Amino acid sequence: MAEYWNIAPERKEFVESFFKDCPEPEVSLEFIITEKDFNTAGKGSAEIKNLLKRLGIDSEILRRVAVASYEAEINVAAHSVGGRMTSNVYDELIHIRFEDNGPGIADIAQAMTPGFSTADDLVREMGFGAGLGLSNIEKNSDMLHIVSERGKNTVLELMIFFG
Amino acid sequence: MAEIKSKYFHAINILTDNCTGCTACVRVCPTEAIRVRNRKAEIDPNRCIDCGNCLTVCQFHAIIPKSDSLEILQNFKHRVAIVSSSYAGQFTEDISYSAAKQALFALGFDEVFEESMVTEFMIRMIREYIRANRDKRPILSSNCPAVVRLIQVKYPSLLPNLYHQEAPMSILTRYLREKIVAEKGLQDSELGIFLIVPCVAHVTAVHQPEGAYKHLQDGAFSIGMIYGKVREYLKDAVNNPADVETYSKGLTWALSGVQAELVDCEDIRALSVNGVENVKDILSRVEDHYLDQYDYIVLRSCTNGCVGGCLNIENPFVAMSRIKKIIKEAPAREINVDPLAKLSEAGEFDVAPLQPRSIMELDKDIKNAIKKMKKINEFLIMLPGLDCSACGSPSCYALAEDIVQGKASIDDCVVLLKRHNREEADSEYNE
Repeated sequence: MAEYWNIAPERKEFVESFFKDCPEPEVSLEFIITEKDFNTAGKGSAEIKNLLKRLGIDSEILRRVAVASYEAEINVAAHSVGGRMTSNVYDELIHIRFEDNGPGIADIAQAMTPGFSTADDLVREMGFGAGLGLSNIEKNSDMLHIVSERGKNTVLELMIFFG
Repeated sequence: MAEIKSKYFHAINILTDNCTGCTACVRVCPTEAIRVRNRKAEIDPNRCIDCGNCLTVCQFHAIIPKSDSLEILQNFKHRVAIVSSSYAGQFTEDISYSAAKQALFALGFDEVFEESMVTEFMIRMIREYIRANRDKRPILSSNCPAVVRLIQVKYPSLLPNLYHQEAPMSILTRYLREKIVAEKGLQDSELGIFLIVPCVAHVTAVHQPEGAYKHLQDGAFSIGMIYGKVREYLKDAVNNPADVETYSKGLTWALSGVQAELVDCEDIRALSVNGVENVKDILSRVEDHYLDQYDYIVLRSCTNGCVGGCLNIENPFVAMSRIKKIIKEAPAREINVDPLAKLSEAGEFDVAPLQPRSIMELDKDIKNAIKKMKKINEFLIMLPGLDCSACGSPSCYALAEDIVQGKASIDDCVVLLKRHNREEADSEYNE
């Protein structure tokens, strides 16, 4: 099993206590992501953006959430056999968790490298698989956590703060 | 209809007597501005962007366009028409564009000008603007008033990206007003400048222009409204042609695709998008910075651009084909753009920064907004999820939101009511 963490330094303390206390979310949304279904992949992140607009979240934060969640959603559709996306909204942040049903990432550090991609021809034909997904997610989130085991599955979770 | 108070003008009227409460309009509104309450449609003026979808879909003539009456021409000593480019596509091919233009004089105009006269100048201005505003990408076209209002209500973070200069018909108005007043020795109030337009959004824009610094037009007539009268005069125009000049090369303004092609050049990449649902999709992607590779995006609410306007007569594809034919056969005609360039340099075509009209937030306070969102989700679980609109709201989600905002009740759901009645009947039977 391999694990990857990236937390913005000023959020470290908060993130640690968050995972210790596991607070109940105020609002929760769930989406099923189907393998290679690029027609619907992206709907989940679009819904999240709509929801946050209704909460009056700042447009720059909105954009970061939209980009990070879209890339992660496409990743699940492109590279896994499918999975689910759970978005939890709290007063000060959004926490989104992507859990797929396999097959897991062989080398997370390599997968994080901009330009590296294992996308197959079908995925590339659809215009995805440029190898920027994970680094884009990292760039736009305050916390990124990936746990993966080759032959099993991947769980990616991210956090973005509203202020 | 209970008039909802608002500072916003709209060129759409609901004839309550004709409204059957069918909810067809509720389902096609891109901003969810319409509700059927007490079996009658109501438009929320804060949400309406004047796209005209409701008007097109209404089978009962219950939603009708507001247009000025030609009688207002009597209030002016000198009357000038500026005709939108889509007008040229509304006639059968045996009628020349110059005859169609000539017929407009018979409506009571002393002079008739065309939007197409300034197309070339506009393209030049747009390119200069794009080059001068490298920090903003992409620049979004602002000619379509429905698109401008859509951005104000749903995508306010994109307002700085809008092309902050007047549209061609307003540029022409600014130029003509000064020129004609001076030439004819008129008072400003004696000169009436009117637009002949293809859609309700342009009528609204004349009565409530966004970001305009100065008095522009005095009224707007829709192509649909004057068409009958024009037809009466057409025969005479065809039989007794006067020497009417036309600027057909510039009619490209009515076609969103061609307009993008014209702006596109070595250092400017342009994209054309039309149809309000497509526009919404693209704006959402612009928000996420997925379309930053484009320098300019032409956005039109109607199919194919202004030829698809809801107050046109001809089908948007046929009209587009006709306009393309007219352009192809037209002689090149130069107009002297120096006075326009001077006005432009003097900032006379500038538009004030456009303000948001945001409708999206549930509450000004984020904690309250989250509370409301929680309640919405609670109601959403109860509702059947059919999005049938029978309650008068566009979707189950919209009804849940309406309930939480105090504008509807869970009893409005027809499906729940039916289930409830069935359960009651069953339990009575079992007893």
